[in-house]
Amino acid sequence: MKKQSIRVENLVKSFGKGENFVDVINGASFSVDKGELVALVAPSGAGKTTLLMMIGCVMEPTSGQIYLGDEKVYDGQWLAKDTRSIRREKIGFIFQAHYLIPFLNVIENVTLLPQTNGLTKEASEAKAMEILEYFDIGDKAHAMPSQLSGGQNQRVAIARALANSPEIILADEPTAALDMDRSTDVVKMLKRIAIEQDVAVIMVTHDEAMLPLCDRVLKIEDKKVISIKTADEHII
Amino acid sequence: MINLAQKDIQHTLGKFIVTAMGVGMLLGIVLIMIGVYRGMMVDAEILLQDLNADLWIVQENTLGPFAEASRVHEDLKNTLRSIDGVDKTAALTFQNLQLPAATKPVRVVAVGFDPFGDINAINKKRLIAGHGLTKDHFQIVVSLKTGFKLGDTITLGHDNYHVVGITKGTVASGGDLLVYVSLKDAQRLQFLYSNARIRNDRARGISGGGDTKMVNAIIATLKPGFDVDEVAKNIKRWKHLAVFTRAQEHTILTKNLIEKASKQIGMFTAILVLVSTIIIALIIYTMTLEKMKEISIMKLIGIPNTLIIKMIVQETLLLGVLAFIFGNGFSHLIAGNFPKRVVLETPDALALFAVVIIASIFASFIGVRKVIHADPAAAIGG
Repeated sequence: MKKQSIRVENLVKSFGKGENFVDVINGASFSVDKGELVALVAPSGAGKTTLLMMIGCVMEPTSGQIYLGDEKVYDGQWLAKDTRSIRREKIGFIFQAHYLIPFLNVIENVTLLPQTNGLTKEASEAKAMEILEYFDIGDKAHAMPSQLSGGQNQRVAIARALANSPEIILADEPTAALDMDRSTDVVKMLKRIAIEQDVAVIMVTHDEAMLPLCDRVLKIEDKKVISIKTADEHII
Repeated sequence: MINLAQKDIQHTLGKFIVTAMGVGMLLGIVLIMIGVYRGMMVDAEILLQDLNADLWIVQENTLGPFAEASRVHEDLKNTLRSIDGVDKTAALTFQNLQLPAATKPVRVVAVGFDPFGDINAINKKRLIAGHGLTKDHFQIVVSLKTGFKLGDTITLGHDNYHVVGITKGTVASGGDLLVYVSLKDAQRLQFLYSNARIRNDRARGISGGGDTKMVNAIIATLKPGFDVDEVAKNIKRWKHLAVFTRAQEHTILTKNLIEKASKQIGMFTAILVLVSTIIIALIIYTMTLEKMKEISIMKLIGIPNTLIIKMIVQETLLLGVLAFIFGNGFSHLIAGNFPKRVVLETPDALALFAVVIIASIFASFIGVRKVIHADPAAAIGG
């Protein structure tokens, strides 16, 4: 039996008060296992990014529970004093654009977080090289992001997300800026990471063509999250 | 650990250096302003140092020739010698003149003194060509910056004067160049009326053609062992004159005369330092704004605030230090081109450096505040 990496129970997020009150997520419950690549879909404005930010410990929910790995991180309030340390140690983020630090070269972008976590320069660089080689961009280790193509930069961004050996990867529309071939490459890469690195990957996407590559689809419907097998039709 | 400030600066090195140069020029102007003030102080003391007098004897109830109009009889220099303690005396005149030059007149202060008297007004150390005055008439020693050369002829009044000596670095308290003429010539220039004026005066029933035996001040040196204040008191009591010691004359020159000018410069300097601080703050704010996306991402992926703040503070301090280095170099480069003396002193530069560092630290607070309030959620959702 696979071990759950993300578990969300009765998660609620509302904004405003009185006439301005809006509940974006209301009673969402779902889980994602280690080694699983899950797509998160919903129409624009339905709360995908809000949900991702809550799981990523960036936005505080209104109520509910969030478990990341074995640790309950939210139960009506954040249970850790510093949510940033949870992000640093447990979560890898991938964004729509690569958002690499433009003044750091590839290997510095990848080693920044591990070095912040206390890993030595040598150890973090050795690990970074291993990841970069894994993505076939080892020879670009000392290139600046501005010298790489969009696809190469997105690979570096994925390598950065893996550098701190996270239990969870949250990807916010990672293929939005890529063409079909590159998008397919990236999603296949995420699938490979989920299996080989044994991490849970949640990928927000609008691209229907990518859904068959995922293990499962989580769809926000009526402010709740429903789980759909990728073989089902009419997902979006 | 990766030094983010170093990497960021390396990435935009040209922009960073040009920015530092821009701020540096502003700081250079601050140093020049301080240098102008110091120059005024130095200028004010040159005549005092060259004449090296213990007492300045001037018209009663006046502050002397530099601050107020003062006229005393020339022969006082002889009677003052009879006062106990007085060693040497000299009668002096000071007069603003416009020397006719080829392009435009040169404004100078003419010092008149007796070339055969006890005290020579020309400091031999400042004489770089020719010689001092050797005759009672029609010789002139000029400052190098007047542009005149040895042997040149300068027409003053009805007479022609021959340049017999060139001095360097001789200026009056107001910054005007000094020239030296004999006392007799100076008295003619200052006190002798023209023939037309004498005729007009006679028609009005006024006799005489102007008393040319007047001077603006008498200076005196004392014999060893005499108290300068006691001698000054004696002269005041018996001769009905105003007497200033060297220290008092120094105060008149450096405080009374240039007080407003120095306050003016002080105000300018303070405003420039404030403007520099605001500019550094704005630059840091802009530099931080340019990096807000990266800062949000760094915060989102878990980079601690301390690391990001360190980057901002280090960049600000380096900008301040670089700007100061550029400013210091810039001020030394242009100081010689100013018409008045600019004295750049190390303690002033060090004081400005301290101010720049403090200003940079304050300026970095703006960037730091932006970092602290940066929303990591801004990195998600495009």
